[in-house]
Amino acid sequence: MIECPSCGHQHRPGTLFCSECGVYLLTGGPLRTEPLPESDLPSSRADPWESGEAIAAAETQAEAVIVIVPPSGRQLTLPAEGEAVLGRLDATRGVFPNIDLTPEGGLEGGVSRRHARIHKQKAQYFIEDLGSANGTFLNGQRLTPYLPHPLHDADELQLGRVRIRVVVK
Amino acid sequence: MLPSRTTLPVLPDEQMLYVLFDVSAGQSAKQVGRMPLNVCLVLDRSTSMQGARLEQTKTAAQRVIDSLTSDDTLGIITFSDKAEVVWPSQPLADPIKVKARVSAIQASGGTEILQGLNAGLAELDKRRQHYSINHLILLTDGQTYGDEEKCMTVAVEAKKHRVGISAMGIGEDWNDQLLDALASRSGGVSQYIPSTGEIQHFLRERLQGLGSVYGDNLRLLIKATPGTRVKSAFKLSPYIQRMELDGESVVLGALQIDAPISGMLELIVGSHTAGEHRLAQFELIGDIPAHQLEGVQLRQDLTFAFEPSADPNTPAPSNVLSALAKVTIFQMQEGAWQALEKGDVANATHRLETMATRLLDMGEHQLARAALLEAGRLARSGNLSPAGRKAIKYGTRSLLLPPTKDK
Repeated sequence: MIECPSCGHQHRPGTLFCSECGVYLLTGGPLRTEPLPESDLPSSRADPWESGEAIAAAETQAEAVIVIVPPSGRQLTLPAEGEAVLGRLDATRGVFPNIDLTPEGGLEGGVSRRHARIHKQKAQYFIEDLGSANGTFLNGQRLTPYLPHPLHDADELQLGRVRIRVVVK
Repeated sequence: MLPSRTTLPVLPDEQMLYVLFDVSAGQSAKQVGRMPLNVCLVLDRSTSMQGARLEQTKTAAQRVIDSLTSDDTLGIITFSDKAEVVWPSQPLADPIKVKARVSAIQASGGTEILQGLNAGLAELDKRRQHYSINHLILLTDGQTYGDEEKCMTVAVEAKKHRVGISAMGIGEDWNDQLLDALASRSGGVSQYIPSTGEIQHFLRERLQGLGSVYGDNLRLLIKATPGTRVKSAFKLSPYIQRMELDGESVVLGALQIDAPISGMLELIVGSHTAGEHRLAQFELIGDIPAHQLEGVQLRQDLTFAFEPSADPNTPAPSNVLSALAKVTIFQMQEGAWQALEKGDVANATHRLETMATRLLDMGEHQLARAALLEAGRLARSGNLSPAGRKAIKYGTRSLLLPPTKDK
């Protein structure tokens, strides 16, 4: 049997939500994204004005973005159109990001539930921080929240402490 | 069919497994035209309906007449202490005459739903064709006294004769348990209409739904292998509702061309050895009136690999989780009413409060506030307000609906 971390009710293994208090049993309730110490994160900031020219500059058609998360080696291909939210799944709060970084240590790594968004505009992919607690870094530079930045092949993203490699095809 | 896990661990004890399923009409169904409807409106004309309620109901009934064609059959019944046939069931040849009869309906008397149901079903029966959509739509605003059980028997009987019942309650004073049960037993829908202005909208929506029926009398048979049993079954569309197991089968009702039926099963799986095991066989049975088919069957096996090393805490697919999160809230709400029925006010209050916390987590602020308000009322007075109870009940069951746009 497994025990609900919130109310102590006993459940059969495999149960996902506590029937008594509604808590998601695999994480034991809504877990806060803790702010990481400043020293753990890069301090330089990306140029907020970089985004404007990129749309005009993009000539080659970007087909797809593949995201590689080194700790697990997991590879995820983003849909050619549309967008993907990166973050941390929280079933109790009904947050289901397209790319859930929980298996790669998302919680300890300071990843927010809705951390960042990759989307495509014309032929160019963009990364946008969604006001995350610990920030999104593009090649070691902190992005201004809610300002999309162009994403290129071989870029390195960092969400909180979790590093991600980007392949644009 | 989407299970919460793909491989199951070998465990000495029982474990839980969730299965999310969808039933949809498929591409070929799009070419099927609208089926002729055999509809009977059963309208409450008791004294409490006097004024705006009855006037709006009459207008709504007239809109129904406008939306039907001469291929359809319509009957209209009113009831109070007894039932009257306002318009005997017949093909709709002279809409103006029918409308005139509707205009003349006057309010008086008590509320005896059984009378209305019986008269309505008798009218439907007169014109029942083998391959038509037979449906009774009940509109009421009050409690019926003493005939609830007989109403239920009638609904089960109607189901056997391929007649669905949709029940709409206006205002706050009607018996939600009875109307919900009438609808779920017969494969229809129940609806809470908080304000009279919405009667037309809901009635129109129901007629449109009936017009796009593709599969009818759908049932799901869950043939579990030894060691596996169904803990509970929920239908998720058009709203969350518990499906009572009748032996091995649950009623799914009608399938619309444009709207798949989805459901959630909670299965308890006994201990299995390593290797492949079939846990259950699902059998979907239903009629397709447009193709004049009856008792069409579809089978699907639920087979799993059991592995000693599988992690019991594997996260489930996100659509299973998001549906289950809401089904859980729905169950908490059920638990609160059950506790209250047993007279355990403290427990019911506690359940409503915890539910409110979860609703706040989900961003359902309005519903959370309603739950907190009723929890407070319950703690102080030991009673709920009928309006609050209905707001919570019909709010939680609609949690899976896409948010409605502001008018």
